[in-house]
Amino acid sequence: MRVLLYLGLAWLALLLQTVLLPPLFPGGVKPDLILLLAIWIGLREPPLKGGALVYGLGWLYDAYAGVYPGLHGFVLLAIFLTVCGMATRLNTESLPLLWCLVGGGTLMHAALTAFALEFFVDVDRFWALIIASLPAQLLYNLLAGYLARNLYFRLKKMVPDTPPGVLARFGRRHAP
Amino acid sequence: MWEWWKKNRSLLLGLVLILAALLGYSLGLRDGGRTGWFERVALRLGGPVFGPVADARYAVAGVWNAVVPGGGLDLEAETRRLRAEMANVEELKRENDRLKRLLDFVEQQPRRTLAARVIGEDATSWFRTIEIDRGFEDGVTEGLPVIDAAGLVGRVVKSAAHSARVLLITDASSAVAVLVQDERIRGVCRGQGGTLALDFALVQDAIQVGDGIITSGSGGVFPKGLVVGYVRSVRREEFGLFQTVEVESAVDFAHLEEVLVLLKEGP
Repeated sequence: MRVLLYLGLAWLALLLQTVLLPPLFPGGVKPDLILLLAIWIGLREPPLKGGALVYGLGWLYDAYAGVYPGLHGFVLLAIFLTVCGMATRLNTESLPLLWCLVGGGTLMHAALTAFALEFFVDVDRFWALIIASLPAQLLYNLLAGYLARNLYFRLKKMVPDTPPGVLARFGRRHAP
Repeated sequence: MWEWWKKNRSLLLGLVLILAALLGYSLGLRDGGRTGWFERVALRLGGPVFGPVADARYAVAGVWNAVVPGGGLDLEAETRRLRAEMANVEELKRENDRLKRLLDFVEQQPRRTLAARVIGEDATSWFRTIEIDRGFEDGVTEGLPVIDAAGLVGRVVKSAAHSARVLLITDASSAVAVLVQDERIRGVCRGQGGTLALDFALVQDAIQVGDGIITSGSGGVFPKGLVVGYVRSVRREEFGLFQTVEVESAVDFAHLEEVLVLLKEGP
């Protein structure tokens, strides 16, 4: 059930990022909602199940982004495993942690993408493009993460926390 | 040893998974730019939803432009269109002169075109691609050039049944063999996200701001004479071999709604 919910959210994120958000962000830089979803899954799901899911999401992302299949599979999996490795030691509902994870995830996404393109493909000056857009990307991702967190807690309050409530299961942190 | 393995097992497994994913990515690069089955399925699933949502978006934007004073008046777009027309006329005149001189010219048949709607943009902030509502069932295959009234847009890189992805010339992984229209200087235009950079222009080449840049036809992907853009700035270093030339694309990618795909010749 949760996998379907994650897939539904991924399609919604893709729809927003490819069709609805671009007119609102004329510079080309827009919030990376799929990255936020990967971080969220990293906080909530066990490594194997979550890793397979995030790797699949990366491939889905690549169908709508760039021309290098597998690039986001690699990048998102690396971010997911990093988050997953820390998730058992952290209070996953704290706001400062959100800033750190989204900020760190955005920087890691940029660094890994630049690495994968500069070392494996002949893409000229890609790192310069990433550096130029990184501040705006960071800002939009942090803002989107904050809004998504608030929306989640609001929904959680509205929907009764009775099993097998979808939100209750969706929000449960995996066991250490 | 066993203790060490038990302690670091998660970390090592994680590293192995990341390396496997990196290997999967590098193997995918050897595929030669063909559309994989997963991408075809993903594009096929998204097309029926993204198309109508894009239509609704254009409808809302149309109403907005009609209601808000000055919203529909796009002087910049008009200037781009007129400049492209001028460059086209100039190119046709030159071509005509050359062909008359040669006498035994064979007039090129214009290629068949297919109109397509833009139904989506790239999902990331760093790549520059668009999605169109025509796919291989309409004859749109990988490698076909895509243009609009102002000039060259890019080329098809992924093709599903009823939708395709187009790599814009402004993407960092895009390179187009070009000519500076007046001086007939050859070079390669590489995407830089928003603008283009003209590479391999020697420092002694007399390139001026405002010069038209057209496709040279070398490389076999793009036909000769398509308008790519205009020189925006030129910088010559004292001791450099090449000059730094920045090119502004002729196409306004921010407001791209319809494009033409140049189809393959023959049956």
